Amino acid sequence: MGKVEILHALDLRLPAGRWTAVVGPNGAGKSTLLRVLAGLLPTAGTVTLHGRDLRDWPARERARQLAWLGQGEPGAEDLSAYDVALLGRLPHRAWLAPPTEADHAAARQALQATQVWDLRARRLGDLSGGERQRVLLARALAVQAPVLLMDEPLAHLDPPHQADWLAVVRRLVAAGGTVVSVLHELGVALHADELLIVRDGAIAHHGPCASPDTHRALQAAFDERIRVLPVQGSWVALPQEEPIHADRDTPH
Amino acid sequence: MKRMNSDLTPIQGLYRLAWLLFLAFVLHAPAQAQSYEVADDRGVSVRFDAPPRRVVSLLPSLTETVCAIGACDRLVGVDRYSNWPEAVRRLPQVGGGLDPNVEAIVALKPDVVLAATSSRVSERLRALGVKVVALEPKTGADVRRVIGKLGELLAVPGAERVARDIDAGVAAAAQSVPPALRGQRVYFEASGGPHAAGPQSFIGEMLRALGLANIIGPELGPFPKINPELVVRADPDLIMAGARSAGDMARRPGWQRLRAVRAQRVCVFGLDEVDILVRPGPRMPEAARLMARCVTDQGAREGRAP
Amino acid sequence: MTRAPWLALALLLLACLALAVGVSVGSTGFDSLRHALQDPVARQIVAEIRLPRTLGAWLTGALLGLGGAVAQGLFRNPLADPFLLGSASGAMLAVAVALAWWGAPAAAAALVPRLGLTGAAFVGALGGVMLTLLLAQGVQHTLRLLLAGVVVGHVLGAVKDLVTLAAPEVLAAMVAFMLGNTSLIGWQACGVMAAVLLPALALAWALARVLDGLSLGEATAHSLGLPLAPMRAALVSVLALATGAAVAQAGLVGFVGLAAPHLVRSLARLTHGPLVVLSALMGGLLLAVADIVARVLIAPQELPVGVLTAVLGGTYLLWLMYRRTRGGGGR
Repeated sequence: MGKVEILHALDLRLPAGRWTAVVGPNGAGKSTLLRVLAGLLPTAGTVTLHGRDLRDWPARERARQLAWLGQGEPGAEDLSAYDVALLGRLPHRAWLAPPTEADHAAARQALQATQVWDLRARRLGDLSGGERQRVLLARALAVQAPVLLMDEPLAHLDPPHQADWLAVVRRLVAAGGTVVSVLHELGVALHADELLIVRDGAIAHHGPCASPDTHRALQAAFDERIRVLPVQGSWVALPQEEPIHADRDTPH
Repeated sequence: MKRMNSDLTPIQGLYRLAWLLFLAFVLHAPAQAQSYEVADDRGVSVRFDAPPRRVVSLLPSLTETVCAIGACDRLVGVDRYSNWPEAVRRLPQVGGGLDPNVEAIVALKPDVVLAATSSRVSERLRALGVKVVALEPKTGADVRRVIGKLGELLAVPGAERVARDIDAGVAAAAQSVPPALRGQRVYFEASGGPHAAGPQSFIGEMLRALGLANIIGPELGPFPKINPELVVRADPDLIMAGARSAGDMARRPGWQRLRAVRAQRVCVFGLDEVDILVRPGPRMPEAARLMARCVTDQGAREGRAP
Repeated sequence: MTRAPWLALALLLLACLALAVGVSVGSTGFDSLRHALQDPVARQIVAEIRLPRTLGAWLTGALLGLGGAVAQGLFRNPLADPFLLGSASGAMLAVAVALAWWGAPAAAAALVPRLGLTGAAFVGALGGVMLTLLLAQGVQHTLRLLLAGVVVGHVLGAVKDLVTLAAPEVLAAMVAFMLGNTSLIGWQACGVMAAVLLPALALAWALARVLDGLSLGEATAHSLGLPLAPMRAALVSVLALATGAAVAQAGLVGFVGLAAPHLVRSLARLTHGPLVVLSALMGGLLLAVADIVARVLIAPQELPVGVLTAVLGGTYLLWLMYRRTRGGGGR
């Protein structure tokens, strides 16, 4: 297997205490970018966390700072939901030590935050897609890391649970945490603080979600097949049948 | 004990003492000589303080040899394949040669266990304190050696006589083959696989004694597993095989073309006869007679015998 | 979660029961036990043949159960068994070579008889695993490890076939080895296996969290700060040593390593820490019972224990498949 360069010439600065949503067309390299940020893929350049090269961080310290939730990854089908959530505490647990009260409390908080506390004794393999996703989310939350990287966290989640997820992220950011999530649900992505648009392996735009420049860049990234419109104080992106031409008189 | 007379000179007294010591040594020595060592086929020396009275045999040929040299009454257990002589069938069976029942063997309290050299159980038995002598004859010379060794082990005189009887019996069987039928090229299938009997094996030696040539060369070893093509290329005059192997012989690719198969010059031996043929022991003369009868019967069938 | 200690206790009690039964049955029956105090031969039968044999069967099963749990965790595959990394084929080749050499008089005074078949099998098992690691260039990639294990298995098997063709008289002994055989286990063998089992269990239990993390995928395991490479190497060593020790003493006993973790998981939902310990206990019980059945079923003859475990294991797998297809596939 030779090496293929998926992302080119990136220079990216992600601010702390903000929620950045990573969006872009299929195959743009969003997931790859996130994996690079998590230190899961080799890069020709460097990734730094709090100013220190990711590779220089001791593994467990890095794990306590940076939590990851992958897309479509295998789950421990045989374990109970509670045990899966508790696995998120591994970076905090000393070797050979049983889980502490703090570990149990963190797992409980995480499971309650994602509304799966009632399912905690159930086997992961027996849960529905949405329930399973929420348990895995709880596992990531249980790490209680200041930085949370999530790849397609809303898979299988119906709108009420998407709203719950939104609330969780807002709470995390309000408490000072940093969230970076790859989303293909543009409507949810537009709730973020910042939008990072990736296209063809490069960053097309990085800016605040509320800015019109960002909206234009978003439309351009999708070849003008979508249109960003305000609805009741927030933004939505609607698919277009045919491309619209830039027209200053068109309200948006 | 003679009283030492005070009128003996010191030198005479010394000579008498020396003579008494010499007598004591000579008288004691035979008692010590009862303790002897036997080296088995793996080079392991086993010491015996007295000839073994309780013997367990795990190889049929060894069972037959033990009985042939007159120690049959010392057998207390045999493997499940030992079936000759009749008396042996009444003995407790302790499993096969390759999967013997350790517990059953130990329960029989044997003084010695006779096993094949390739048996794993020897180590275990030795660890439990049971004496094991490993013998496995493959050639004619092996058979003579094993007979001698068993005679030595069991302290039975008569072992050489058994070896001589075997030779004489094989020679007599050889005499019964008329000169006109000698020189035929034979393929002897010793077991499925197919495993052939090469000229170095005891079967091969008997074939040679009968004046028959072996299509298997000596470089292949005593019982090589051969490619059936070899037989097709060699095209023997006569084929000898057991009933089990002979069954599918005609179906082997290319074998229909063999002269021996087409002319039905195939001697098929029944299960009992196979037992006699493949055991390198005292029944070798009978094996030779079976083979000789095969040759003469084939010859008579074709009208070649005088 | 608190089921684990109760399950462990139950398995240990059943094992003691199996030990008691194992000591009482055999070709000489219950008489040996009754006369053990007076008759030295009966005592030898009970104390030096039956007791170490039953205990040895339990230890072998425990080693295989441990290996199975580790293998299934390492490869995230419920069908993994401890022989995956070439240990079985390595052991078979080494035994074939040892048997072939043994016949030759030159080797009589050499290393082979002293090393014995058990030593050869152990060395062969470790050699097979090392060859697999070499081919897979380390422990990093699970798929590469699996493929390398398959390749090594085939190649070493072919070499073994060549050896048995060159020396056909070892074939019968090879088959006996391959079918699994607990009848030759004595106290020394028990000591060797116990000496391997205890550290292997301790190490596997300490590294169990790596298996837990791995069950969530390699990316998540990495993100949780688990030092994957050295811990994987350590787990592979545990696997190699445990299976090597088991194969050396009892030959190739199949299905115990595969079935023990499944049986434990069907009784309780556990993380890998308790799972490896309970798998060892379950494996030990399975093989101890199989050994007893092997002795009793066609008494006074014995079945090779590997045949029994294959039949029982095969039946269990068939039942698993039936239940899964009937239940509509939960996984």
